[in-house]
Amino acid sequence: MTSLAPGSQRPLAAPTDRTNAPALRSRTLPLRWGRKLYLAANIAILVFLLTPIAIVIVFALNPTPFIQFPPVGASLRWFEKFFASRDFMHALLFSLEVAAMTTVASTVLGASAALAIARGNLPGSRLIVATMLSPLMLPAILTGLALFQSYVLLDVGRPLWGLVAGHTLVTIPYVVRTTLAVLHNFDVRLEEAAQNLGASPTRTFFEVTLPLVKPGVLAGAIFAFIVSFDQFPVSLFLVAPGSETLPVALFNYLKFDLDGTIGAASVVSILLAFTVVLALDRTVGLRSYVKL
Amino acid sequence: MTVSPHRFPLSRRRLLTAAVTLGAGVIAAPYVARAEEPVLNVTGWGGKWGDVMKAEIGPAFEAEFKCKLKTDTALPFLPKLQASSRSAPIYDVLHTNSNEQWAAVEMGLVEPKVDPKLVPNIADVYPYAVSDKIVGVCIFTSAIGLGMRTDKGYGSITSWKDYWDAKFNGARGGYVIPANSLGQAFVMMCGSLYGKGQTDLDAAYAALEKLKPIKLVDFTGAMEKLILSGEAGIGILHDSGIYRYDGQNQPVDFVTPSEGVLSLEQVLSITPGSKVKELGNAYINYMLRPEVQKRLAETVWYSPANNKVKLDAKYDAKLLTTPEKVGKLIQVDWKWYNARKDEIDSRVNRIFRA
Repeated sequence: MTSLAPGSQRPLAAPTDRTNAPALRSRTLPLRWGRKLYLAANIAILVFLLTPIAIVIVFALNPTPFIQFPPVGASLRWFEKFFASRDFMHALLFSLEVAAMTTVASTVLGASAALAIARGNLPGSRLIVATMLSPLMLPAILTGLALFQSYVLLDVGRPLWGLVAGHTLVTIPYVVRTTLAVLHNFDVRLEEAAQNLGASPTRTFFEVTLPLVKPGVLAGAIFAFIVSFDQFPVSLFLVAPGSETLPVALFNYLKFDLDGTIGAASVVSILLAFTVVLALDRTVGLRSYVKL
Repeated sequence: MTVSPHRFPLSRRRLLTAAVTLGAGVIAAPYVARAEEPVLNVTGWGGKWGDVMKAEIGPAFEAEFKCKLKTDTALPFLPKLQASSRSAPIYDVLHTNSNEQWAAVEMGLVEPKVDPKLVPNIADVYPYAVSDKIVGVCIFTSAIGLGMRTDKGYGSITSWKDYWDAKFNGARGGYVIPANSLGQAFVMMCGSLYGKGQTDLDAAYAALEKLKPIKLVDFTGAMEKLILSGEAGIGILHDSGIYRYDGQNQPVDFVTPSEGVLSLEQVLSITPGSKVKELGNAYINYMLRPEVQKRLAETVWYSPANNKVKLDAKYDAKLLTTPEKVGKLIQVDWKWYNARKDEIDSRVNRIFRA
């Protein structure tokens, strides 16, 4: 017998329908297990991604001059050593300077190239895309070596612009890729509408096109900054004596001293990258990028 | 009020001339700057060596020889030298270990010897520093022996062969041989210990096989930490890798095996295409000066090659500063080793893969 809810004519479902129970159980069991497996897989991926960062943090806070697990305490001595080192500070600031210049260069060039590829009806646009993305396929160490050899042949030494050019070369693909992804779903009728309403091409670009492709350009810029800031193989050949980037300085340090300073420097790098992303989110807004 | 037409006398021709002059000036500026002050490009180490070179020894050299000393401490040196033009090499003086020097000389990247007439301080170096196993001239050496923990109750260790003792199974530290010159030198030592000599590779391979289980690292810095942390009780290491912890109350010590210690040389050589060879020779001579040798030796615990150097008692007691102590050095035939490096790398990789 079915019961009625008070004040209602609709019958209430039986708390347990014993006749349909086996069928329901067989349907919900795989769902429940599937959900658990899905959760477990996600947790495993998170652990896989975050474990190296956790180890670096433990290494940076460990007071002993070697990696010790479990840690015997917590100390900021390696951070003090890192911030007190003139060489490391110079390398950190130099890395930031190079990454900032690289970000501007690769964002302007990469986003312009992506717009030209998507809108320009260029002959052989697929070939152009492949060429723009090719630095990703080449081992970066070879890119560095080839650029180094070119600079030597041109007798220009190892200038700052040469290093920025090398970093730009390997970061442009990120900007091109992310901007193209946004442009792929771009509704050109919005631009046409703006122009029909009297907007000039320049105004249309800055007030319609750019705000709409911003998430892709911004995402590319963030990638460019982080890739440049952490860039090692290209920098290895292009840094000039006395002007080493942080990853190169760390590599040279590692050869002689493997202490927690390396961990402290890594933590600072991670925090810097995180700060850049956070600052961009607060100033320009990244939430629209999340929709990508 | 009228504006004089001559107030800004800037014609198109003048503008173009000014622009061309400015452009030429910008392009020529580095060359003009270079012409004013000779620049000596050298390679060098980082760490404490780099600190003292940057703070004291380098500036003193620049002041005395009125030049600019540019030291590249970013490895790898050899590929950079290889990639640069032979007639205008990126370095004038190559400072690196012997194995790389031999590779460089084989490729014609550095001159095989330094002229003693141009580097008078060579007259005062120990024979090993200019032996037939050395390209250029050796300015310092470290002794490769055994670094070990003193708090594990291992007892007295006197021979290289103790390294194979079963009590060190699981607590033995070694190197990824293809990537580390101490590991490579040790391969030759194995040939000497268990075969007919340094070049007896079959005996060396058989001996290496018996070292498993072993913990392998890339750099000597990592080996130091392996021993300091107690993860390894014994490991192949240069003396400076242990002595640098002197006074820090660490339970570690360096063992000089009775069979002798391998030599880890710091070598300087001149590149054939250098435009400032005279300055390059002056730099080598300067690095061999007793006062420079003493300062560096006491900073990084390297044994000076100049036999006139008088170290403070603490350093003198441990470093190779007498003909008798220097007599314990075993130099490796890197020319022979480099010629077979690929084959050796492949074989040792197979041995330690498991």
